[in-house]
Amino acid sequence: MDDTARRSETSTQAAVQVQDVSMVFDGTPAVDAASFDLAHGRFLTILGPSGSGKTTLLRMIAGFQTPTAGEIFIKGTPVSTTPPHKRSIGMVFQKLALFPHMTAAENVAYPLKMRRFAPADIPGRVKRYLELVQLGPYADRRIHQLSGGQQQRVAIARALVFEPDLLLLDEPLAALDRKLREEMQLEFRRIQQELGVTTINVTHDQREALVVSDEVIVMDDGRIQQMASPTTTYGEPANRFVANFIGVTNFLPGEVIGAESGRARVRVAGHELEGRVAEPLAAGTQVDCALRAEHARILGEAEAVSFSADAVITESIFEGDRTVYSVVAQALGGAQIRVFDTLHAGAGNKGIGDAVRIGWDSRHLMVFPR
Amino acid sequence: MQGSNAGRADASPLTRARWRLTDAADTMLSALFPGRARRLTPYIFLIPAFLIVGVIVAGLFYIGDSSLRVLDRSTFLQSEDYSLENYVNIYERAGYRSVLFRTFSGTAIVTITVLLLSFPYAYLMVRTQSSFLRKFLLFNLFLPFFLGQVVRAYGWLIILGQEGLVNGILGQLGLANISVLYTNTAVLIGLIQYMLPFGVLMLAPALTAIDSDIEAASEGLGAKWYQTLWHVVLPLAKPGFVAATVVVFTITLTEFAIPAILGGGTNDYVANAIYDAFFRVSDMGAGSALGVVLIVIGTTLVSVLFALMGTGTVGFLKEDK
Repeated sequence: MDDTARRSETSTQAAVQVQDVSMVFDGTPAVDAASFDLAHGRFLTILGPSGSGKTTLLRMIAGFQTPTAGEIFIKGTPVSTTPPHKRSIGMVFQKLALFPHMTAAENVAYPLKMRRFAPADIPGRVKRYLELVQLGPYADRRIHQLSGGQQQRVAIARALVFEPDLLLLDEPLAALDRKLREEMQLEFRRIQQELGVTTINVTHDQREALVVSDEVIVMDDGRIQQMASPTTTYGEPANRFVANFIGVTNFLPGEVIGAESGRARVRVAGHELEGRVAEPLAAGTQVDCALRAEHARILGEAEAVSFSADAVITESIFEGDRTVYSVVAQALGGAQIRVFDTLHAGAGNKGIGDAVRIGWDSRHLMVFPR
Repeated sequence: MQGSNAGRADASPLTRARWRLTDAADTMLSALFPGRARRLTPYIFLIPAFLIVGVIVAGLFYIGDSSLRVLDRSTFLQSEDYSLENYVNIYERAGYRSVLFRTFSGTAIVTITVLLLSFPYAYLMVRTQSSFLRKFLLFNLFLPFFLGQVVRAYGWLIILGQEGLVNGILGQLGLANISVLYTNTAVLIGLIQYMLPFGVLMLAPALTAIDSDIEAASEGLGAKWYQTLWHVVLPLAKPGFVAATVVVFTITLTEFAIPAILGGGTNDYVANAIYDAFFRVSDMGAGSALGVVLIVIGTTLVSVLFALMGTGTVGFLKEDK
């Protein structure tokens, strides 16, 4: 307890601090000793597959669930036993949870009435926030008279109108179609930057995490796997899970045969490959070599790269901006490798069953212990 | 890719015979009952229900007719001529007036009490995290239905009687005995206990329809639990309250067994008075007139409720929420 108190004092800058927070349901930890600090005005996305504990973590921050261990600080104050209505948190729910028996304006006015804002100020404030989300003309519409995107905006306005310390987003965009979802992602980002409100967003959509966030936490199995900027998360994944969860990644199983600073030599099916490592690995360690599909290439006639091998195309999917090939390389132990061909260059008019030469630059190869 | 066609070819002779049978049945059906006639299907299925309701409506006409004929006490036959005498009698005789007043005031008390008691029960049943508690509450809800009304009324006799459970406990505590049995209070207690499951069953679907995140949202926006209840849960549960009101009101209004057994003959409801008129004094006219009065006032009250509050979950028409 003393230790906890001291740690909260040392970083008063943080808007949110999560310290060793766990949540155990029936003996199984849904969240296992999660810790992170989030500075004021930052946009954090917690990314993970379903069942990874990300929503449980968010609901503990909101106050709908009480951690079985650990403490959460908001602006330096411990809140884990504070009920939700006494926290200053705006939340947008997955299914929005708008009040269907009220108009858009009544929904936005609700937190102001409950939090005893001066009655004279309420109409003006409601109007301002409805305009912020571009819903000025729709103030008197009932919720069911609004489109999906407009309902999203009402939910955002309702969560922000009382100027909370923290905005929480619980996958509110998951149900929208792709185009609207991408539009709303940018809208969230615009509003967040305009108001400078500290935001925690939960999603299983990796693209959304990379597009909207200042920082990304990747969660799996109740544990935080990595917390970093979007570029670091994508470019330097901390472990095999993160490398696999974000992006399309090929894995080649092998064994470490030697290592020097930040790099390791790995034997894969008789070939010696070289890649970078996050942590030093001893010789003999069983590893997976990870290669992003966009870093694997189908080579032209005279092209030379640091590693190449013969392969046969087994699948070819045209996606407009790129073609996704699956190739099988017998030289690499029959490994199946996915290749993004963006420029339609190397493969030319190759199709299924054709022999090709694939390769990559070894600075793109990442080595993770299995 | 080739799965479905290969599957057809590989199907066993038995499977193929079954396909042929259903294909033949399908062909026959569409010959007998062409696609155009399918629009009539719902109406055709409606016929049995329509016939049954039709019998009741015909009975209503008969009751209406009979209520306008006066009993000739020398021949015990109904008069040939129509007159309003039976209705005038109901209005003028203090006995009938008090039965009507007791019935409607008792029904109002029962309906309001049942709504108040069944809301927390239904809410807990719908919202509890514990599946054991939910099953326990559901089981308790249905248990009384297996016992029947008369058995339950006798149960109350045992509990409320002079030498009953309540007086036994009061005696042990050195308190004075109470004599509740055969009073209007006993009837009300019996009716409330009888109607409570109906109230819960009507309210529960409306509460299930409220996403628990809506309540969480209200709390997160700064509402205390009673504010959430007042501003969010109760307004959204309105259809359930309308349904529960209509069901509890109409069933209680026509109750017979509980007033008869727990009222001890001195606390009759309209249904008991109707029974007496028909089977004790054989005055069909008076019984029919009482029946008509009950139907007219009951229907009017329910119609007014529907007009003011909507039909709730009883109605299927989509209302403009």
